[in-house]
Amino acid sequence: MITRRDLLKLSGLGLGIALLPDGFMLVKASENPQIKPHLWASITKDNYLVLLINKSEMGQGVYTGLSMIVADELDFPWGRVIVKPAPAKDTYIDKKMGSQLTGGSTSIRNMYEFLRLLGASMKEMILESASREWKVPKEKLQAQMGYVSYTNKKASYGELWEKALKLPIPTKVRLKDPSEFLYIGKGVPRIDTEEKVEGKAIFGIDVRRKDMVYAVVERPPYFGAKPQSVDDSQARQMKDVLDVFTISSGVAVCAKTVEGALKGREKLRVAWTKSPLEGFDDERLSQYYLDMLKKKGVVARKDGDPILVLEKAKRKTSAVYLLPYLYHATMEPMACVVDVKEDRCIIYAPVQAQTWTLQTAKRITGLPEDKIEVYTTYLGGGFGRKSNVEFVKEALEISKRIKKPVKLIYTREDDVKSGWYRPMNATHLEGALDEKGRVIAIYHKIAVPAVFEWAGRPSQVDKAAVEGIENMFYEIPHVHVEFVKVDLPIPVWFWRSVGSTHNAFTLETFIDRLAKIGNRDPVELRLELLKNHERAQKVIQVAAEKAGWGKRPKHGDAMGLAYHYSFGSHVAQVAEVSLDKNSGQIRVHRVVCAIDIGPLVVHPNLLISQVESAVVMGLSAATKEKVSFSKNGPISLNFDTYPLLTMSEAPHVEVHIVRSEGPMGGVGEPALPPVAPAVANALLWGYGIQINNLPMTPESIRSLL
Amino acid sequence: MVELYLNGRRYKVNAEEDTPLLWVIREHIGFTGTKFGCGKGICGACTVLVEENPTRSCITPVGSVKGKRIITIEGIPSDHPVKRAWIELDVPQCGYCQPGQIVEAYALLKKKPKASKEEIVSVMSSHLCRCGTYGRILKAIQRAQKLMEVKA
Repeated sequence: MITRRDLLKLSGLGLGIALLPDGFMLVKASENPQIKPHLWASITKDNYLVLLINKSEMGQGVYTGLSMIVADELDFPWGRVIVKPAPAKDTYIDKKMGSQLTGGSTSIRNMYEFLRLLGASMKEMILESASREWKVPKEKLQAQMGYVSYTNKKASYGELWEKALKLPIPTKVRLKDPSEFLYIGKGVPRIDTEEKVEGKAIFGIDVRRKDMVYAVVERPPYFGAKPQSVDDSQARQMKDVLDVFTISSGVAVCAKTVEGALKGREKLRVAWTKSPLEGFDDERLSQYYLDMLKKKGVVARKDGDPILVLEKAKRKTSAVYLLPYLYHATMEPMACVVDVKEDRCIIYAPVQAQTWTLQTAKRITGLPEDKIEVYTTYLGGGFGRKSNVEFVKEALEISKRIKKPVKLIYTREDDVKSGWYRPMNATHLEGALDEKGRVIAIYHKIAVPAVFEWAGRPSQVDKAAVEGIENMFYEIPHVHVEFVKVDLPIPVWFWRSVGSTHNAFTLETFIDRLAKIGNRDPVELRLELLKNHERAQKVIQVAAEKAGWGKRPKHGDAMGLAYHYSFGSHVAQVAEVSLDKNSGQIRVHRVVCAIDIGPLVVHPNLLISQVESAVVMGLSAATKEKVSFSKNGPISLNFDTYPLLTMSEAPHVEVHIVRSEGPMGGVGEPALPPVAPAVANALLWGYGIQINNLPMTPESIRSLL
Repeated sequence: MVELYLNGRRYKVNAEEDTPLLWVIREHIGFTGTKFGCGKGICGACTVLVEENPTRSCITPVGSVKGKRIITIEGIPSDHPVKRAWIELDVPQCGYCQPGQIVEAYALLKKKPKASKEEIVSVMSSHLCRCGTYGRILKAIQRAQKLMEVKA
């Protein structure tokens, strides 16, 4: 974890980046008071490369993936690289996103070129410095693994760094030819593994500050309710309890210890105002979404005349899908440490969104930006949830009021009750085939909350609502895509792979149903629909071939395939599934995945990890997960009622990397959407079951048999 | 005042006897490797060893383990085959559940060095990992078994 002291120590020693209208520019921190002491890179005297990384490490391996790019261009030994999280500053904004934010599977894609330039420029300056010192032309020097050498002369980068920084920054540098790469395309050991194995990695919940107190917040049972009256007389008498007061989201209990805060909260008596959602239990929510689906929405795409074609078509089918609210279930519940003082504010938080955290702190404290320090800890899981910084806002409110550093901890139940779910959604699909079994029309209408609007970016057609459908690669002459906005006050947010989580499921299962009524092989049908899209075709072919498509499954009894394009990457997966008809229990034995993220994979093993991770998370959601509601609010408040996939249920995941020309795609999310429809498609072909509702629990499967 | 014997040292802690061991280890003493996940003993992130038995510290009152030998992730030697295998295979992603997983695996192999794949899966299925590192955890435990054989 980085501290103010670290930053000061680095100041004047490092290479910074100025953000100009036309892109990044390298500048020397020592000469630019505006960016001092905020830097991207420096080399210590004892030859360690210190990098400040502007993306949050939440398991995806971004500290490793980004820093190895710099080390590669610099020709630096991997074992001497140190990563520090960049504080929240304009300097560190990802220019392609316009925000210091980790999301959308963009980190490597957005930072790759800049980090190569950074490493190459550093190396150039070090060589120039050695050249002047030794009076040897630069071309004759060798820079290798952190050392510059010439005949019998040798100096470490660290020894040369201070002088190198006095030189002008090169306006042009030569980037490596891929054949010269040391790490890129090959991989390195993860930089965070050892800390994590030793239990020494610091997450949001692990931060300690002097004189810190603990806080928990009592929340309303259902969203939108406010405290009407608070009886804190008993709570205040509990050991260690320091204060109880109302904040914007509920009632905060502060204590000298965690257990004191928790026990104090148990004794709290809060009467809540009526929630506008009261009465919205599972049944009513389902009905509400299905009713919304009958309303007129906004047309996101219209090609040809799908309604007329569907009316006239002889071979057609339709389906109504209903998919549940999902909870992120980061293993680390929301937690952070915040210290609001009169003239300064310090935040240690596991956030994906540093800019939003900074803006929130400005709003709550009224302090100017340069008096607010935001330090990102490791994230115990993110999956989109920790780009929502409402929990930091709560801690800010509490610290400001109690005038002490505060560690805010969410219990698991608080975490579920805080909301920000993957939205529930209802989808109506219709499709038609011509006499040759070709798909000629698709009508798609979805009723779903607007995730981007919840995130402060409203638009007529919410991007998340129709992603993966509106921009699908399938070439179908008549297409209709329509969005009906659901406006319930249940907070929704980005959940790993966002709209593609539901749209891939509905579209991909529907394609197989069309294949079935047309007596078509679903792989062959997809290849026909994608005849002008080589990259898409290739991943489908590779997944099918590697899984032994058309033969008896190696494991299990049925096989299903799904394909989806999201976050710039093409992914196809084949799931091998078996079903115990008595219990309704399905088992997914193996998932074969082919993924194409473009011509270059910076770190193949990290890509494989992310695919394994996405498949397990997608399968967990598909088979087990649903936030359930009673009339009085969410009731799946812990892992007993919101179970996750375990080791015994996890499939063997086989990953095949397909390379192609084209822009670089993302890795963290794209492998999640295809797994649920691949499993459902296996059930369709193997057992004749059509899945219109998730999760595929044994009870729901039994009801379909 | 409760006296604890943790990672080979004695600590006197000013906590009530019904305080969950988890909070005493993490917040009173400061070994933050042991994690809070669910508070109900379901997810396994808080697993520590009490007299060599894997124990969910979030539901264990500190008063019940007075004087007993407690080991946390920080108390397992860095050169232990389980930790070495975890590093070799780059198991952790976010890393939050891993201390609990490692402590469980350490205890399992201590009791049953030759545990079969089925036995490993059965024991480890009591731990949740949202990043889905299950495949690598299994491989790391099997790798640790090999490293232990070599050592023995």
